[in-house]
Order: sequence, then C-alpha cells, then structure tokens
Amino acid sequence: MKNKVFSKIFAVVLILGLLLGACAPAPAAEPVQEEAAPIEEEAPAEDAAPAEEEEEAAMEPVTFQVFYPVAVDAPIAAILNGYIEEFQAEYPHITVEPVFSGGYGDVQTAIQTTIDGGGEPPALGVMLATALYDLINADYIAPLDGYVAGMEGGDAYVADFLPAFLANSYYDEQLWSIPFQRSAVVMYYNADMFAAAGLETPTSWQSWADAAQLLTTKEGDATNWGLQFPTGWPYWLFQPLAIGNGQNILSDDCTVVFDDPAVIEAVEFYNDLSAVYGAMPAGVQAVWPTATTDFASGSTAMIVHSSGSLTGILAQAEFEVGVMAYPGKEVDTFASVPGGGNFYIMKGAPQEQQDAAWKFVEFISRPNYVADYSINTGYIASRASAYETDAMLAYTADVPQALATRDVLQFAGAELATQNLGQVRGIFHDYIQRAFNGEMSPADAMAAAQIEADVAMADFCP
Amino acid sequence: MQASRKRSKSLPYILVFPTAAFVALFTAWPVLLSFYQSFFLQRMNIAKFREPTFIGWGNYVDLFTDPYFIDVIKNTLTYILGTVPISIILGFLFALLVNRKVRGIGLFRLAFFHPMVLPMVSAATIWLFFFTPDYGLFNSTLRFLGYSGPENWTGNPNLALLSVVIVAIWKNSGYYMVFYLAGLQNLPDDVYEAAALDGANGWQSLWRITFPLLRRTTLFITIIAFIDSFRTVDHIFVLTSGGPSRSSTVLLFELWLERFEYQDIGTSAAITVIFVIVLLAFTVTNLITSDRKEV
Repeated sequence: MKNKVFSKIFAVVLILGLLLGACAPAPAAEPVQEEAAPIEEEAPAEDAAPAEEEEEAAMEPVTFQVFYPVAVDAPIAAILNGYIEEFQAEYPHITVEPVFSGGYGDVQTAIQTTIDGGGEPPALGVMLATALYDLINADYIAPLDGYVAGMEGGDAYVADFLPAFLANSYYDEQLWSIPFQRSAVVMYYNADMFAAAGLETPTSWQSWADAAQLLTTKEGDATNWGLQFPTGWPYWLFQPLAIGNGQNILSDDCTVVFDDPAVIEAVEFYNDLSAVYGAMPAGVQAVWPTATTDFASGSTAMIVHSSGSLTGILAQAEFEVGVMAYPGKEVDTFASVPGGGNFYIMKGAPQEQQDAAWKFVEFISRPNYVADYSINTGYIASRASAYETDAMLAYTADVPQALATRDVLQFAGAELATQNLGQVRGIFHDYIQRAFNGEMSPADAMAAAQIEADVAMADFCP
Repeated sequence: MQASRKRSKSLPYILVFPTAAFVALFTAWPVLLSFYQSFFLQRMNIAKFREPTFIGWGNYVDLFTDPYFIDVIKNTLTYILGTVPISIILGFLFALLVNRKVRGIGLFRLAFFHPMVLPMVSAATIWLFFFTPDYGLFNSTLRFLGYSGPENWTGNPNLALLSVVIVAIWKNSGYYMVFYLAGLQNLPDDVYEAAALDGANGWQSLWRITFPLLRRTTLFITIIAFIDSFRTVDHIFVLTSGGPSRSSTVLLFELWLERFEYQDIGTSAAITVIFVIVLLAFTVTNLITSDRKEV
C-alpha cells in the first residue's frame, strides 16, 4: 500500500525532476537525470513516464512553505524575502511561502504539532543543527543523499561546507541537513582596554584569568567586570571550556562524559574566575541579553557569547572589538563550539514540494547568497567558497572580525547533540548550575549528572 | 398551541448548540483525549516508543514518585501563594488610591494599569534589565533603601522563583485594580452616608461596608488570578528558563518541557490531566461556597 503510493509519488517527482533540468534557465542549470530523487524503484517509474506527460508536469506550479526562526538581531524576514524573489524569478513555476515562526523552538514545535495532528508539514524548515536525532527518531525528516547524488558536482558541493558545521548533518552515514545560519562560541575582548593595560590577548586559562582580574575595576557601588560568562542556559558557552581542557562533554550521540576529570576541572575553572580571581560575578549569570550591552558600552572587558552577536556589538561599540576562540588550559591551545540552524526537508510534505524545497536550498547555498547572508546577519558563512566572493572579500577587509569568527572553527569540538537531547541537556543544566552556585561540588554534581544522563539515554541506545 | 410550546422547549437547546459544540470540540475533546493518552507510554523522539503502549497509571506513578516533580509542585504552590494574594491586595489598594476625583487622576490610573497592556514577554525583558546586578534599576533602588543582600536575582536558586513572582505581581495588580475600581464606582453612596451619620470612621466603613460589598468582585478576581498564575509562564522563559537548576520550574513550564523538549506525550498528557483537575476543583468549590454565602 505504502509502496504503491510511494512509487506514484516517485513517478511524478521523477518527471518533474527531468523537466526542471530541461526548463530551468541558465546559470547552475542541473542536467538532472534519473537520479533526481532518492532510492530504489527508479527504473520502472522512468519507463512509465512518456515524454508528453513530462512536458505537462513541468508546467505544474509548486508552492511550498519554509518555516524559519529569527534568532539574531537582523532583518531576517526582509533578507529572505529578497532571496525568494530572486529564486522565483529563476524558477517561475515554484512559489515559496516563508513563514516566520518565532524562535528555533517554536519552529520545531509548530512542525511537530502539525505532523502529530495529522496535518501536512511545510516542505522546508530551519531548525537547530542539534535537533537531528529527535527529528530522525520522530520520522519527520528526509535524507538528502539522493539529491546530492543527483547534482552535478554534488560531492564538491557538500565538501565546500565548513567541516565543523557539517558534523551535525550526518547520521547512519546519511546526510540529513544543510548548514544555513551557523554561528560559533567566541570570546569578545575590548582591544583598547587590553592595549591600555599593556596586555597581550590571552593564550591560556592562566593568562585569561589574569587579564580578567586586572581589567576588573570598582566604580562606586558598581563593578566593571573583567569577564561576563552567561550561564542561564549553560551547556553551549561551557563546552569550549571543557574542550579547551582536552575533553568535550560528549563522545557520540549515545555517550556523554560529564564526569570526566577534565570536564570537572573546567567547572572548577569557571568557579575560580569569581572565587579566586574576583574577575567575574559569582554563580549562575543569567545575563545572555545584557552581556552584549555591557560589553559594547565598555563596562565589561570580555564576554563569551555567540558569534551571531558580532554585528550588534560592532554597531554599538566605540572601541576596537577583538574576537577569538576561548583560550584553552595549556598555553597556545584554543577552543570553540559551533551552533545555529540547518535546513531540513520534511518527509511528510508532498514529494514535489520536497523537490522544490531542495532547489531552494541549493539556490540559497550558492556562494554569493551565503556571503550576502553572512554580511547582512552576522552569521558565519557556512561555505569555504563564500569567503572568496568579491562581496565577502570587500566585507572582511573592512570587518576583519568576520574572518576571526570563521577561524575559531578550526578549534571547535562538536556541539552537544545526543539521543533524547532535551532531557540530557536539562540534566546537564540542572547539575552544572548547582556546581556554579555552590550547592554541590563540581565533582559530585558532574557525577550525578552522568548517572542521570545515562539513565535518560538507556532506552534510546542499544 | 402545543406546537408553539414544543418549539419554545427546544429553542434554548438550539441556541446553546453552537457554543456547546465549540466547547465540546475545543475544550472537552482535547481534555478527554489527554485523559486517554495519559495511560499510554508514547515518546516521539524514540522509534520504539513512537506507537503508544498502554501502561495504566504508569505515567502518574512515575510523576508522583519523582522527587523532581514534587519540587515542581512545591514551586507551583509557592508561585501561586506568592502572586495571588499579594497582587489582589495591591490591586485593591491601588483602586482605593485612584478612586477619587482629582485632576490628572487618569495618569495615575494609567501608571498602575500600563503593565497589563504590555505583553508578558516585553514586561519580562524590561525586568531582565531591572534585575541586572550592580546597575540594574531594581537593585539600585533596593540598595538606596538599605538592602545589601544578593543581587543576582535570576541566577540565584533561592531568588529565581521570587523574581518571577515579583514580575507577575507587578504585571497583574494593575489589572485587578481596574476590576476593583469598577466595583468601587458602582457602590451606592447612601450606605456610606448612613454609616457616616452613625459615626463610623474611615477604617470601619472600608472594612464593614466597602469590602463586603465588593465580595463578588473579589471572588471573580480570585478566580482569574488563580487561573492566571497557573497559565502564565512567558516571563519564566525570558527570565530564568526555569532555572537555575530547575528552581523556577512551575507546572505549566514542566508541561512544555515534557511535551516539546522531551517529546514525552504520555507524561505531558498526565500533567495536563492533573492541571485540569486542579483548576476545575478550585473553580467549582469557589463558586459553590460563595453562592451559599451570597444569599
């Protein structure tokens, strides 16, 4: 039953694919052949499609929706609408309906509730790169290998994405998502303050802590902190501390290593920054939105934050803004972790919409669009070739920090993405915050987190 | 004659039907569905549990034997006891304050009422800056008043819940003020005149006349305040994300976590059922007891 439906859909898709290849005007026109869509039943479907029918199908207009979040301070809606207009000019039979859906969580919630309620999901969604396993397990998304295989130079296309960003796209040796709006954890520093104090940029935990201590000053009742480290939602900004000590907090989708001595030492380092060096506020700092303001106004010398905040900080700051990876524990080691959202194609959408969505993904990940998106939003351009476009060269000559955000990725470890992610992450947050707030010792807290996380993953992992 | 009587008998039902149908479809049916789902193990983010399996009371047993869920219930009770009485009392006091004919009184009413007009997320974002340690307005004011305790409101496990309570009180008292104000302005003048003639002082007429006469208003406000305190979690997302270490996680926030973060349909259905039962029990008892007193 399912197979029948599938092969029918497949036939339509195939025809459509063939015609797209034939009709799409110039530039990157793909001479798409029978590999246009994924997998098996290829041969019979192809035979069944006589030429005239193909012509008709080509004219069939397709409309699909893309659900996207706005997670940074940039006019995402206006930018996307511009790209969509240009896309529709190139593919006149495809109409893209962008649906702004809140934050990342809201996009995923909207898609989940649509599917669970028996509705038809949008063909395309921008969701967190780390949502991968949840989306696969729930059977919401379709693998993309068939599409890549059908592209001319498909392998080169995939290989052009920065490896740190692509790491979250694979599972079971299949490709499930395409990097779109990606970021990384970085450390921002006030280069003017460093110069005035005669400080070099830090290269180790020790020199980082010393600099933060030196740059902490009292001003009446208020303290100008050397460092602010938002930990209201701590795993992401914390990970580079652990990575900088030689041990990420996970090793694969079924294994977390919260209780490794190196991870515990990283928690202790966070605590020492306030307890020993007096260089930042003590305990959990729920200061994600205010930290950037404090930094840009010059009252805090260093903050750790998302690279996505760069544009906003540069717009406000009246000093030279430095961007770098976290210093690691040992001298001249550094660390970071990627973040942000990818494109996912929903398998519940009609096949012709999925195919049209892929066309859009391909279009929007052309180097010139990737570069333009990065310049206008502050996200890190996700493809290497985007950095060679004229627009990007001109931009990075002007704003060298944009290159620095890309360069931290060479020090990046994997972002926390596991089976049963919501629960595992919740457990980690619970205990690491207890350690930050002194309710438990770092060693006890991380040991307890490890035990609970193992239980939470037990059903999910063989 | 008979025909017309018949018609008049069925007419009320016909008139009520559209509303009843909507209530059944959008309220009763989802509740029944949740009740049904709460007896199944179903998790959307794991292939082997994607199809529901009947486990009886399993979800409820799991919830009530989980010390963490007990904490959530404690937090919820603290949150309700912290917000409801105080915001009602403040609403009443504000109403007394602005219930006079003075030039420019509209401005004061507006000042008390405006937090209600703001969406909760905006209000919470504003408060996020108020709560900022060191230079935040809230902390500066407290320091001016002689406070020297911890200032990290949203990051301190002992203060996080209190900070969301404060925002809720700030947000809601002005709203309740409006109901009290409307109530006050509908009170008959003659009772007060009679009381004044009998030599009642201000306190007596407030306590013996105003307050009892406003009992209906108080009942109404108590119900909406109680229900509000259960369903408002927007500010928790903005201010604390339920943390630190889950110390500001209340029932509805937990429900959201279970359903959308953990993708656990059975458990979230069970929490929904608990939710509905508590709200129903409260509303019904409140209406029954107050109706008795009313006569």
